[in-house]
Amino acid sequence: MNLSLYRDEGTWLHRLDPRTKIVGALVIFAWCLCFNHPAPQVMIMASLVLIAFLSRSQGTFWTLRHLLVLLILFSSALWPFFVRGQNALWAWRSLQISRESLLFGIAMGLRLASFVMAGLLLLATTRNEEITGGLIRLGLPYPVAFALATALRLVPTFAGAGAAIVQAQVSRGLDLETKNLVARIGKFIPLAVPMFITAIRYTNFLAMALESRGFRPDRPRSFFYEPRMARLDWLVLVILFCLFGLFLYLRLGMGMGVIMPGRL
Amino acid sequence: MAEPISLFQWLCRRIEGTGLKPSIRKSFPREPMGISLSFDNLSFTYRGAEKPAIERIRGDIKEGAFVVIMGHGGAGKSSLCCTANGLIPRFFRGDYRGRVLTQGIEAAGAGVGVSDLSRIVGLVMQDFEVQLFSSNVELEMAFGPENLGLSRERIGELLDRYLPFVGLGGMNRRDTATLSGGQKQRLAIGAVLTMETPVLILDEPTTDLDPRGRSDILSLAADLKDSRRTLVMADNDAETAADASRIWLMRQGVLIAQGPPEQLLADPGLLQSCGVKPPPTVTLFESLGWPGRPLTPEEAISEIRNRNLISPRRDGKSAPPPRAASRGGPAILETQDLCFRYPGSSVNALDHIDLAIREGEFVALIGQNGSGKTTLAKHFNGLLKPTSGRLFVDGKPASSFTRHQLARQVGYVFQNPDHQIFAPTVREEVGFGLKVLGEPSKVIERNVEEALAATGLAGYGERSPFLLSRGERQRVAVASVLAIKPPVIVLDEPTTGLDDRHQQDSLEMLRNLNRQGHTIIIITHAMAVAEAFASRTIVMKEGRLLANGPTRDVFSEEALLAKAALIPSPLARLSNRLGLAALTLPEMVEELKA
Repeated sequence: MNLSLYRDEGTWLHRLDPRTKIVGALVIFAWCLCFNHPAPQVMIMASLVLIAFLSRSQGTFWTLRHLLVLLILFSSALWPFFVRGQNALWAWRSLQISRESLLFGIAMGLRLASFVMAGLLLLATTRNEEITGGLIRLGLPYPVAFALATALRLVPTFAGAGAAIVQAQVSRGLDLETKNLVARIGKFIPLAVPMFITAIRYTNFLAMALESRGFRPDRPRSFFYEPRMARLDWLVLVILFCLFGLFLYLRLGMGMGVIMPGRL
Repeated sequence: MAEPISLFQWLCRRIEGTGLKPSIRKSFPREPMGISLSFDNLSFTYRGAEKPAIERIRGDIKEGAFVVIMGHGGAGKSSLCCTANGLIPRFFRGDYRGRVLTQGIEAAGAGVGVSDLSRIVGLVMQDFEVQLFSSNVELEMAFGPENLGLSRERIGELLDRYLPFVGLGGMNRRDTATLSGGQKQRLAIGAVLTMETPVLILDEPTTDLDPRGRSDILSLAADLKDSRRTLVMADNDAETAADASRIWLMRQGVLIAQGPPEQLLADPGLLQSCGVKPPPTVTLFESLGWPGRPLTPEEAISEIRNRNLISPRRDGKSAPPPRAASRGGPAILETQDLCFRYPGSSVNALDHIDLAIREGEFVALIGQNGSGKTTLAKHFNGLLKPTSGRLFVDGKPASSFTRHQLARQVGYVFQNPDHQIFAPTVREEVGFGLKVLGEPSKVIERNVEEALAATGLAGYGERSPFLLSRGERQRVAVASVLAIKPPVIVLDEPTTGLDDRHQQDSLEMLRNLNRQGHTIIIITHAMAVAEAFASRTIVMKEGRLLANGPTRDVFSEEALLAKAALIPSPLARLSNRLGLAALTLPEMVEELKA
């Protein structure tokens, strides 16, 4: 069973230097912050989906589709109550929903989802070890980079252990399909306890295994996947930064893509 | 094992940099004396434990030697291994006395860390799953050399050399999570081999391997000998130990004997007192009062020929007379043209399986790692649903049962008991299944007592399952399925991690259950277990059934088994050569005396 987000496809995005992809994801985060109107946010999201298809990572988006949809829905439903716009559509006492606040909420939802999608693109096309290497080359201390990458690595491992635990308990008659919420919470104990024990055991042994194979964060080490900046890397970075400059000009210079002036 | 320090503490300590002074850190000179490991009156007691795990260990291991450490579960084999690279006392805290010299360096000495010793000692721990943390095979193998600061080119050379060596050639970019248990075990060994340490320590390295994988690992020993590397292996298999240059025998933390295999393996009484199964050929010759103590079937054959002990009746080729026929009730599990494909995969994990298992049978499911044994077994209790084809349970289509009803029909004992144990007492743990199935407390009480008695856990009811030994936890897992009293019980590798005594105990327990009418299905890598206990054996290869018949017939087809990377146990091989029907020691003694 493969539960990690990474997909070994070998497309141009996979071959980019991890530094390019990390910086690129940050620039895309910055893009998302340029506008608070849904229309440009839709365009940003559309381009992310396009990149996903080009790098054959659409499957990763699909796996997490529920999360993405939830982000958009929650944001669209809650934001309108907290900002005030000109054209009120509905009002009750101090609560008010306006055309602007509604659109703003949608834009915020799209922005959050785009954040997640940019991060997913990074994780779907970059190995853990490459992210570690890239972060170190970007100047992060090795222990910090390694801890970050290990945390990412543990997610699929624990998901796998979780699946095994569910199977073991279901085989003993544990019924996880009841609708009653209280009953369901009670049923998490037989799952949670072995999960915690497994996690604690795993992290302890992991530390021993790392040291047994010569790992020391304070000692220089080499990288088998040595990151290398190629011409394509620079091209991608130039395009991303130029677009960022353009977006800044559109927003600040021309006041475009704004539904709620004065807000990020 | 006692509690190791937490990952957080470890990271903190590492980041503070309380390690070595730079001058000592560089590299260690090789000891010219020719002694790789020297134990000097070494004792260690885990914090919170009453008795020492190892006590007054004294002994030297020469450079280039192949030493096998044998002993019962809890004899201190793993602890001894962990002292060689400093995991004890660096990670496991406790009372440490005496010293270990690793190539002349004191392993617990001030300023020597586990990662420093990793240049000299490569250790593969028993739990191989947790030792794999990279995203693909080649990065896993490269991790050690990266820490040594080797260049990409040099690491590439090491990969080219050691990937085929551990049978993972061409799998460079495979995600480690998608490997089978045996492949993971080989990868864990390969990841240490690439560090090219002068000393290599393997703690029970073959528990999850099929017989071919086992012999592959063992052939490593020969190759390593040539390169003058020292190999230490904790392993209770007498066939492995026969190739060793020396054997260390441990009992309750004490090194009670050390010597060459011809001497120690020929002493069944001594081995049994340490919970080690003696070579069956030795026991056979002893029981028959024959001279000579052959360690392998090959030696046994030549001994028999040379001394004219018996006149070979048939020379191995013809089929032996059948044993007691397999019991045949109505089919309790039946598959029709069953296929299964994991989502996202392009090949069938199970390919057109037609199979019937009858009530009251004791079936062994054997085959190479990744041949589909577990996948098939998971269909029996509905954990997996066939992609196409049909499965009948007790004559009715499996789809007509709910999960609850299937749990009552087919019990499934998983390989790792720690994936299910959660309750504060053994009684609650074992009664959990009945409770969620809604049984009244009287029934629960009665069934739990019966299940505890059947698994040899009577009197354990109020103890905490977390504090039991691995063998006891495994029996708790069996008891918790047993309490539900399912007509069919499936057990995935019920003998992994158990020493000989506990293996025999749990198998006897299964045999008793079988006599009481339960249908037993075991998935196993231990050929001797299948031979001695199963009435029928099913051999799987690449998702298909390669053989399916009475156990004696299946194990006489050595060529067919070889196709599935399986090798019968030494005793079965001897029996085949001599043209006997026996598969177990008592049967064989009886047949040869007659």
